[in-house]
Amino acid sequence: MAWALIAGGSKGMGLSLAEALARRKFDLLLIARNQSELETVRRQLEKNHCIQVEILRADLSMPESASLIHAWCTTNQFDIKIVCYAAGLGGSKDFQNLPLDQIRNMIRVNLDSAVALTYLFIPLLKKSAPAHILYIGSLAGFAPLSVKAVYAASKSALHSFAYSLRQMMKADQISVSCASPGPLFTKDSIEKETIRQLGWIGKQMAVDPERAGEIIVSRMLKGQMMIIPGKLSFIFSWMLRLLPDGLIARISY
Amino acid sequence: MMRYYLVFLFFLFSYLGSLAQSAFGNDLQIDTSRPYALIAGGSKGIGYGISEALAKRGYNLILIARHADTLQTAKTKLETKYKIHVETLAMDLSFDTTATVIAKWCTARNVRLKILCNVAGLGGANDYLSLALDSLRYMVRLNIESCMALSLTLLPLLEKNAPSYILNVASMAGFAPIPVKNMYSATKSAVVFFSYSLRYQLKDKNISVSCLCPGPVYTKPEIVKDTKEKLGWFGNKMAMDPSAVGEIAIKKTFNKRLIIVPGNLAKISSSLIRFLPRRWVVNLYGSAGNKSKKKKSSSEKS
Repeated sequence: MAWALIAGGSKGMGLSLAEALARRKFDLLLIARNQSELETVRRQLEKNHCIQVEILRADLSMPESASLIHAWCTTNQFDIKIVCYAAGLGGSKDFQNLPLDQIRNMIRVNLDSAVALTYLFIPLLKKSAPAHILYIGSLAGFAPLSVKAVYAASKSALHSFAYSLRQMMKADQISVSCASPGPLFTKDSIEKETIRQLGWIGKQMAVDPERAGEIIVSRMLKGQMMIIPGKLSFIFSWMLRLLPDGLIARISY
Repeated sequence: MMRYYLVFLFFLFSYLGSLAQSAFGNDLQIDTSRPYALIAGGSKGIGYGISEALAKRGYNLILIARHADTLQTAKTKLETKYKIHVETLAMDLSFDTTATVIAKWCTARNVRLKILCNVAGLGGANDYLSLALDSLRYMVRLNIESCMALSLTLLPLLEKNAPSYILNVASMAGFAPIPVKNMYSATKSAVVFFSYSLRYQLKDKNISVSCLCPGPVYTKPEIVKDTKEKLGWFGNKMAMDPSAVGEIAIKKTFNKRLIIVPGNLAKISSSLIRFLPRRWVVNLYGSAGNKSKKKKSSSEKS
């Protein structure tokens, strides 16, 4: 059976993607920082879906992780059809209140490793084409939300990168998608933060992580480029795209 | 015996002290009569254009670049022509520690820093999959991280000398993805977004943030060739030389403009690029790239 690799697959968005792929009987390669979390997820998925799950502990803020993951996959000769990059760091009020190391970490996890990982896996995916690459962007990637300066910048770079890569990979039958969900209540802190900042609309816009994972996977397999789960998020994304960036930056701080 | 030993030590230390003062002491004294501008990547290209525009307005300069020799030529040229004071620091801005070291250097001398220009950047005609992974990483470090790091570490100094200015140099490639310059346009898009956010985060502190997004700038012969090949007549018309770009950039930075696009043709095409759906723009760029590829292969055959 074909394998799907999910970077950042032990919790949050990555976990919902893993579940949605498991339902479609893909065998999974999960990568995350926390070994014990990975093992519980592995047990759960193997029990519920009768699939094979392999795990690897790696810290995606480290530059060597991408080649580590690649080496692991080539030595074990997994036939990889799908690469999902769901690892990401975020937060609000993020530029001035953060130490420099954390800013760098955010860029390395959100952009650097995403770029590096697909760079190394494209030769493998070309062999097993038709294949899919999925990045997890964010609504913040559409317009500069100034409370999240570094986060929005890294996600906008990821969006731009995904658009270009899709064009580059068309001839090789590798479909590149980018999912840009609005608020997902994967942690309690996110739920509180969203309701505080966006109020009622934020609560309405939030999509259940499990449903979001299902929507994203089904549209990725259809080859859609920009995937935005939830109607309200979709409308909101067009607002962000159409309104002048300066206006959005001004009102979002 | 002990007494002689102590006397000897006293002279030795005082001698060493005077040596140290002559080595570092002069360096610590900095011209305080004029405000300073720090230009990261200021020895060549657009950075030099910006440096010259600032020198014309009587700013002292701190230039940072990788190579000491190009820095030295820039320094002598600017100092003789404009009678300003130019400090140079030969450093690689892609290193994690560089921004902190620069900030320490400036605070130790209590530099009257008014302007920070993040110009250093790396790009190329073809990048993703044709460049090594390390060069892509280098691009991210230099184009995004060093810009953020310098803005953060120098923020206290800029705040102290407010009203002050930050000028980040992005590119028209930051407005919409260009498939052949995949990584470059991604990093520049991050710089554009970051500048927008930073402007409103720093508004209360009286620091104005601007972002320069030029079209093609003829800083190197490769760029001239590449632009003519890919964008043809239109690209050549849109292109500008670095000194004109620097002059416009500085003029508009002082006018507190956020997005600065030099040149009328570049202005029109950039607003078009921003308005059209990204998918269309990517396809447009893609077809232009393919055309030049076909041209190249057919000319190679013939």
